[in-house]
Amino acid sequence: MTKIFIIALLINNVVLMRFLALCSYVGMTSDVGQSVGMGFAVTFVTVLATAVTWPLQTFVLAPLGLGFLQILVFILVIASLVQLVEFYLKKNVPGLYAAMGIYLPLITTNCAILAVTFENISNGYNFIESIVYSVGVSLGYLLAMVLLAGVRDRIKNSPIPAFLKGTPILFAATSLIAIAFMGFSGLVK
Amino acid sequence: MKRLWNIFKAGIIYENPLLMLMIGLCSALAVTTNVQNGVGMGLAMTFVMLFSEVIISIFRKVIPNSARMPIFIIVIAAFTTIIDLVMKAYFPELSKSMGVFIPLIVVNCIIMGRVEAFASKEKVLDCVADSLGMGLGYTWVLVGIAAFRELLGNGTVAGLQVMPAGFEPILFFILPPGGFLVFALFISLNIWLKGRMQKAAAKSAAKAEEVAA
Amino acid sequence: MMKDIVKLGLILAAFAAAACVGLAFVNQATEGQIAINQEKQLNESLKGLFPEAEKFNDITKELTLADPAVKLEAAYLVERGGAPLGIAAKASGNSYGGVTTVLVGLGLDRRIAGVRVLDTKDTPGLGANAAVPTYFVDKTSKTTFPGQFTGKALSDPFVVKEDIAAITASTITSKAITKIIKASADAAGARLEAIAMAPPAPADAAGGK
Repeated sequence: MTKIFIIALLINNVVLMRFLALCSYVGMTSDVGQSVGMGFAVTFVTVLATAVTWPLQTFVLAPLGLGFLQILVFILVIASLVQLVEFYLKKNVPGLYAAMGIYLPLITTNCAILAVTFENISNGYNFIESIVYSVGVSLGYLLAMVLLAGVRDRIKNSPIPAFLKGTPILFAATSLIAIAFMGFSGLVK
Repeated sequence: MKRLWNIFKAGIIYENPLLMLMIGLCSALAVTTNVQNGVGMGLAMTFVMLFSEVIISIFRKVIPNSARMPIFIIVIAAFTTIIDLVMKAYFPELSKSMGVFIPLIVVNCIIMGRVEAFASKEKVLDCVADSLGMGLGYTWVLVGIAAFRELLGNGTVAGLQVMPAGFEPILFFILPPGGFLVFALFISLNIWLKGRMQKAAAKSAAKAEEVAA
Repeated sequence: MMKDIVKLGLILAAFAAAACVGLAFVNQATEGQIAINQEKQLNESLKGLFPEAEKFNDITKELTLADPAVKLEAAYLVERGGAPLGIAAKASGNSYGGVTTVLVGLGLDRRIAGVRVLDTKDTPGLGANAAVPTYFVDKTSKTTFPGQFTGKALSDPFVVKEDIAAITASTITSKAITKIIKASADAAGARLEAIAMAPPAPADAAGGK
């Protein structure tokens, strides 16, 4: 169980090692607060999505032989979950909505969430393992977001070679962070 | 005809989805450890984009504005599933090596973005030009990154040995950090290309004005 | 207002229904081919382990793995002319990047007839080299990582970096795959003992089905 968690969080970090969720990784990290907000919003939706899609696949799609509808059903589940969460927060927890609201519509197209729901099934995880895996992956996402936001904060006023100005420097920095993360590979035997 | 050509052309450099618009990045880095994957992913993506744009464009008048997102998602998911099944059936090796990234085409922001910004407003023929241009723009970057990484990281291009036998592959380029670095270089290359092309265009425009005067 | 919602719902339902029907057709058309591919791949791998084999009997239910971390996917009693040649076991376990699936063949001499890495999610260029036919752990003899297991006896230690050469910079993958191979070979060995106990062996194998 801890093994699944550590592998998902550090060794196979969803952004740095598996290149998932890069759009929001580049787009939503201009300051640390924003990246934390996005990170927690994704964590919340990922765990919720896992809690819905795993039983759906195991008790409905698989027994009925409708496995080919998996992509369609899962993406619709995630899209409607995001909508529901948005409505709920808006009505009942306006404070949290004000903080998280702007990130919610962007979450539907966050590929990390969909990837997690597929992998829960293809890795043959049971329900508990799936939940642990989804928490691990999304906290890994949060970690990567905060790290890049920190780096961006630091290089705001640094002299950057002209040809790397703008987005290229972000990916060059990511490359360095990824090298550091490769060091985690010996963590789990 | 000229108009269609311009739409087609935009996706390749000026509005290149990966290098300029910075969307749809995930698959571009994850599958580009070898050229076959790059080509396969590029074609799969183009297929889904072409058919989704065409379908949405045909039905653009009957799709109510408030329900457009779920409908887009349904259409894109349907074509993604089709390409996933077809690849599993007829290109099992390729489908295996790209794994989860084929189903993930459904959340590729490029398709969603083009469907929302272009196909839901424009005519069918324009959509064909747009999707093919965007698809080609996506594919060339993928193949370029893949060729670079495969050559340095494995000494081969598309599985063929290119480097001399004494070449020790630089593993770094196949690994994730190498992917990020190569991608950074590709973006800066495209920015440079665009700058030069704009300068050339400005020059020829100035010349044309002189001639007219 | 109510009318609008009904209309929206109907349009949505129409799109969803059209998508499902379309997908059902495509699924129908490709399903057979996908099954054929999988069977073909398995058959080719099985034939690769036991070239003289004629028949593969499913004995998945009769094998038990001692190691709970390794999962048995399928097992076959390999036969030629009614006489068993050995057992092939397909098993999976966790490796560096996720689940890795391996096919292991064990001959009657209690030596490994061959190993195939069927599926791996490990890093391309590193751990995934376990499944690459042109990656050699010993360049002079052109031995692949799974290839080095051929001919090993069950009584061998199966320890990475001692009697098993590791894939460069991928000790975790090497250890994980070795563990899966050892566990499934042991189970196959135990089953072979059970069959050989009661001669004639083929009759017992048929009875056990």
